[in-house]
Amino acid sequence: MFCRNQTARATVARGSALEMEIRRGKFRKSVFLDTSQDSDIQKKIDHEIRMRDGACKLLAACSQRDQALEAAKSLQTCSTRIMAYMSELQRMKEAQVMQKVTRRSSDAGPMDDRLPCKGKVAISDLRIPLMWKDTEYFKNKGELHRCAVFCLLQLGGEIFDTDMVIVDRTLTDICFDNTIVFSEAGPGFELRVELYSCCSEDDYSAGSTPRKLASKLSSSLGRSAGKKLRAAMEPGPCSPVSNGGAAPLLLPVPSVPGPKYHLLAHTTLSLSHVQDSFRTHDLTISGNEECSYWLPLYGSMCCRLAAQPHCMTQQMMSGCLKVKVRWQQCGGDPQSWTKVYAVLKGTSLFCYHRQEDVEANIEPAFTIGINKDTRIRASEKDPHSKVQNICISNQYGGEEVTHTLTTDSREDTHRWMEAFWQHFYDMSQWKQCCDDLMKIELPSPRKPAPVTPKQGSLYHEMVIESSDDLSSTVSDILARRMQELELRSQLGTSPTWMSVFEENNAKSAGRTRHCTSRLSGHSPCTPHRLPRSPASPHRCPQLGLLSSDASLTSDSDSHCSTSPCSQHHGWPEPSSSFSLLSSSPSRLRPRTLSLDAKLSTLRGRGYGGGGAFQCPCQPPPSSLLAPLPISSRSPRSQRSTQTTLSCSSSTSSNSSSNSEGSHSPESSEGVPFSRPSPARRSLRNLRARLDPRNWLQSQV
Amino acid sequence: MSFVPGQPVTAVVQRIEIQKLRQGNNLILGFSIGGGIDQDPGQNPFSEDKTDKGIYVTRITPGGPADVAGLMMGDKIMQVNGWDMTMVTHDKARKRLTKKNEDVVRLLVTRKSLEEAVKHSMGTYHKQ
Repeated sequence: MFCRNQTARATVARGSALEMEIRRGKFRKSVFLDTSQDSDIQKKIDHEIRMRDGACKLLAACSQRDQALEAAKSLQTCSTRIMAYMSELQRMKEAQVMQKVTRRSSDAGPMDDRLPCKGKVAISDLRIPLMWKDTEYFKNKGELHRCAVFCLLQLGGEIFDTDMVIVDRTLTDICFDNTIVFSEAGPGFELRVELYSCCSEDDYSAGSTPRKLASKLSSSLGRSAGKKLRAAMEPGPCSPVSNGGAAPLLLPVPSVPGPKYHLLAHTTLSLSHVQDSFRTHDLTISGNEECSYWLPLYGSMCCRLAAQPHCMTQQMMSGCLKVKVRWQQCGGDPQSWTKVYAVLKGTSLFCYHRQEDVEANIEPAFTIGINKDTRIRASEKDPHSKVQNICISNQYGGEEVTHTLTTDSREDTHRWMEAFWQHFYDMSQWKQCCDDLMKIELPSPRKPAPVTPKQGSLYHEMVIESSDDLSSTVSDILARRMQELELRSQLGTSPTWMSVFEENNAKSAGRTRHCTSRLSGHSPCTPHRLPRSPASPHRCPQLGLLSSDASLTSDSDSHCSTSPCSQHHGWPEPSSSFSLLSSSPSRLRPRTLSLDAKLSTLRGRGYGGGGAFQCPCQPPPSSLLAPLPISSRSPRSQRSTQTTLSCSSSTSSNSSSNSEGSHSPESSEGVPFSRPSPARRSLRNLRARLDPRNWLQSQV
Repeated sequence: MSFVPGQPVTAVVQRIEIQKLRQGNNLILGFSIGGGIDQDPGQNPFSEDKTDKGIYVTRITPGGPADVAGLMMGDKIMQVNGWDMTMVTHDKARKRLTKKNEDVVRLLVTRKSLEEAVKHSMGTYHKQ
């Protein structure tokens, strides 16, 4: 009876009562023979046992703490999986026995119970906040008490673990980035989330030190260290499995020296917790402050639990039908029948002209909604054909629309009705998951992090967006800006700062050359948008320099008297390089050094020279654009591009303590904005208002 | 959207899901943000309450991922992937949006037009 070679068999101990019963023929041995399902589980159990042995060996051989923690984590996972498989095997065997017993005794009752469809359940973005005492959190001295934590997620027979995270008192939340997808879950699923933690400090070899010595040591080590030592030596959970006679016996978990994980908190999630957004759930915490693996949990867990029942993602039923529509309002006789190939999926019945359209992804001819409010019934027998029709009624707006379906045979009609009932049943079971399809992202394979050589300044890390403005027409940009402005004005109160510009408009006349403009007035002086390419970062240093330089010069208001010729004189130098930059991307080339030299000479000339190229910004755009090749551009487009650039360059100059001498943009210049230009002033003012020197902006 | 310090904030929000676009080594979203608890709230041209230190959308790249997803200039970002954005520094906000291992950001944004829409619909309801 005891065959060593067979992997799929029940072990019946010799001389046991069970064996005697079998010999006497009271029970057929086949009752205890594994079916194919059992052998699957048996294979899984064997696999996990092998994994566990491997993990034990690895743990014993590890020298480094991280490896030991990882190995202990796999050990814990394997043990849990084995226990789960064992209990499932047990349950299946019991069910088999019960089934066979009942079958003998009474006829099998009508198996009319409808089973809801299964679905995919995904949990992602797990986050568990911690609640350190403020003394602990800000404590700078003392050793860092660290714990290694991970989560075990169990649904049905599937158990997954997250990556391990080391937690110490500088962390405010424990975050697990993994997305875990369970593929076969019923609507009544219970997703058990368990948080395991293990103290990640000095190596305590569990169990090797006799207790007496341990207590002596603890008193000499100092209270906190000794407490931890004693706690680490308490026996972890062991899991011997003891069953009745039928199931194979399992050796108890070998106790291995090394780190042991303990259950810190757990919770169970079910269908009512499923939602397409992030939710907070309560955790049940086990353990207290005295344990070595203790972490001060806030008591809740944040995650995104989404479910995709198969009735929403798969085709539940498909076939050829004839359909006609009847609107409630226009009564009378419905039109003729339309022959379609219909597919039932999700919340709709898609009707395609031909079956090939389904694979070809062509839009269906029409779609009939099948949701909670739909009513389906079989109508009376059509006198012409002996087949019953199916009527589907929906409410669209205020009116009721009825689609009548008919098939070629009674069996088809029956199958369709059956499919509809099943679909309704699934939707009633999966509840909120059937309103809309929830998205589940499969974790994308991580690309290996590209090794970028550390470059000198933050400029090189910046990315500037593509120069779509160069290609789009001016009118498009204008139209868009007008839309934004209209939207803004529709919102009711115009921003308070608008009023300032209204007044200025009234005062000014045409194209004046005020030098008392704000700093922001000329920040949009850089009239181009750089393409987003790795080569472009070279541009940034120059422009950052320019804007910072300009800001330096704008503080003094005394340049109003610069004559037009000096303006143009002062401008072309940087503008020539700008014009080069602002042209199509292909003509860009780094000119840092030369521009540096130019700017330094400008600076050397003092505020006269600096002020010179500040002034051109004030007059209306056309003169500004004069030295530049893209003179046909409207002011607003200029500003939009300019702002982009200044945004990005200022960001870099802000975030890095740039030694180029740019000053902090936080200082809000209180210079009034007196730049009345005929059209679209307010939008330009918005752009001006968004000057990063006043208010930091970052591109994402 | 005004808030009283210490009191919970209530707002009508819209859920916006943005798929990041890969450009070379970078994942971009296609918009710019401004604001933060370390910035001067008086400079924010989009906020109603000039003491609001929240994170606002200052510019949208036309045709970019944010534009496609329906984000609008002037929106205030309340949450990013579950993380709160109403009380964060500017740099923290930027970092939360630009995590390299995330392909999708799910934002909760609020804007005045949403509040107005709700008020109007509530108004008609009350009339009935």
